[in-house]
Amino acid sequence: MFFIPGPVIAMLTFPGVIVHEAAHLFFCKLFKLQVYEVCFLRFGNPTGYVLHEKTQDFTASFFVSMGPFFGNTLLCIVFCSAAFLPVWELRVADPLAYFFYWLGLSIGMHAVPSTGDLSNLWEVAPLKAKRGNLLAIISLPLIAVLYVLNFARVVWADLGFGIAVGVLGPIALFRALARA
Amino acid sequence: MHQATCSQCGLTTTVRSFYSMGGKNYCEPCVWKAAREAREAGQPSEYTPLQDNSICQRCGSYSGDNADHPIVGNLALCSTCAATISNWPYPHWLKVSLAVLLLLLVVALVHGRRYFHAGRAMYIGERLVEEQQYEQALPYLKETLTIAPDSDKAVLLTAKAALEIGDMGTADKAIQGHSGGHFDDADDHDFQEVKALWDRANAAFEKAAEAAKLEQQDGHAAEAAQLKHQAAELYPQGRGLAGLAETFDEGSAFEAKDYNLYLSNAQKAWEQYPSAGTAAAYSGALACKYAVEGDASYRQQSEWMLEVARLKIGSDRSQMKAFQLFAERIRHRLESRQIISQEEYDRRFRRQAAQ
Repeated sequence: MFFIPGPVIAMLTFPGVIVHEAAHLFFCKLFKLQVYEVCFLRFGNPTGYVLHEKTQDFTASFFVSMGPFFGNTLLCIVFCSAAFLPVWELRVADPLAYFFYWLGLSIGMHAVPSTGDLSNLWEVAPLKAKRGNLLAIISLPLIAVLYVLNFARVVWADLGFGIAVGVLGPIALFRALARA
Repeated sequence: MHQATCSQCGLTTTVRSFYSMGGKNYCEPCVWKAAREAREAGQPSEYTPLQDNSICQRCGSYSGDNADHPIVGNLALCSTCAATISNWPYPHWLKVSLAVLLLLLVVALVHGRRYFHAGRAMYIGERLVEEQQYEQALPYLKETLTIAPDSDKAVLLTAKAALEIGDMGTADKAIQGHSGGHFDDADDHDFQEVKALWDRANAAFEKAAEAAKLEQQDGHAAEAAQLKHQAAELYPQGRGLAGLAETFDEGSAFEAKDYNLYLSNAQKAWEQYPSAGTAAAYSGALACKYAVEGDASYRQQSEWMLEVARLKIGSDRSQMKAFQLFAERIRHRLESRQIISQEEYDRRFRRQAAQ
């Protein structure tokens, strides 16, 4: 396993960072939360952030924190699907396909919410789950898995997640289409 | 800017440099001391910075001595910043980037359309191969190869489907079209499966070719027939191998002078694989029966089948030349009622003529 500083990775995969922060901002605006500061990309740690007001509404907290996870994952699947067949299955040397694969993987790599995002949710999710909030109940295992994935970033788990989504997603999609 | 006075030392200065603890205002050195003493006494020691509501917490703008900025959330903000944080605008470049991203998405989908088409055809072909519907799978897989001749998966599936229906030509074309038959992963299960099938088919056709050579020599018909049967067993999918094995049985029956079996095999071969070759062989078998039994109907049928064989050859010159040599020998058999092998016929008539 080799070490590459996080900011360098972020610069190489900058579309993912921007999409991640844009998703945070989008859900903040959707739930009408006050946004104090936004940084879409910078050479530092964190590489981007959105500072917003805290809310007691769990649904809002959930989507603001997890928005990038869903948004980035979806975009990763779409772009990688367009590139998956020529790159992996058909072995066609198409530069545009490789560009789309880079774009898809860059976005997928930054899908996992930061520990800060997850901490915000983790603080309130157990209490809300006890009170029978369905979204909180569903989110508990998801938050736990994403926590682990986040800590495993040192061993390239974020890249692993991007590849898994960018390869397994299109495989499942095309196999389902072929059987339809 | 608002002023405040330290409750401990009496210092008076701007509010922003003061802290609040237990409802009292302190300057920075005094708040540390007070907090330490409170901790030692077991009392609450938390303190918070005092907020000067005349200063915007975000941009630092001053509202004047007599007016405070309104509190938004728990922050004093000027009207510009209050409007911004209530409805943070998407930057212009982000909107442009989003538009570019959507455009790229459309380009990706349009550009990838032919790959989707080829990929879909490959997955359908793969499913049909899994269901052993090789004949139906082949058109889909051939379609994939027109776009992706270097795809290991498509090539191996095509070769497998083609070999399973005995279409060596298509299998060969697919494999040779893939980097001249080179595959990176020789340990791949699919590659090994196709290789085994390919080797088996080649071995079978080599045996068939050997049998064809032996058939040209008198006294080796039984050996040739055996080889042909081995070939057919080795590669049962081989087109015509099973049929050819039966025609070789005819030769074997001819050599054994079992003309009933010879005729029965020749008739069966003609009915199963109607071609110029099987028609000619059937004519030869009927001529043998006529030579032995003298029944004119056999002669009539033999001449008829000879004509059928001639018509089936059509304009193929090389086939026509071989047919004429064969027809000459059959006519001799019908005229003389003598059954002689090709080698004997050549020795008696053709070499003599050549001399």
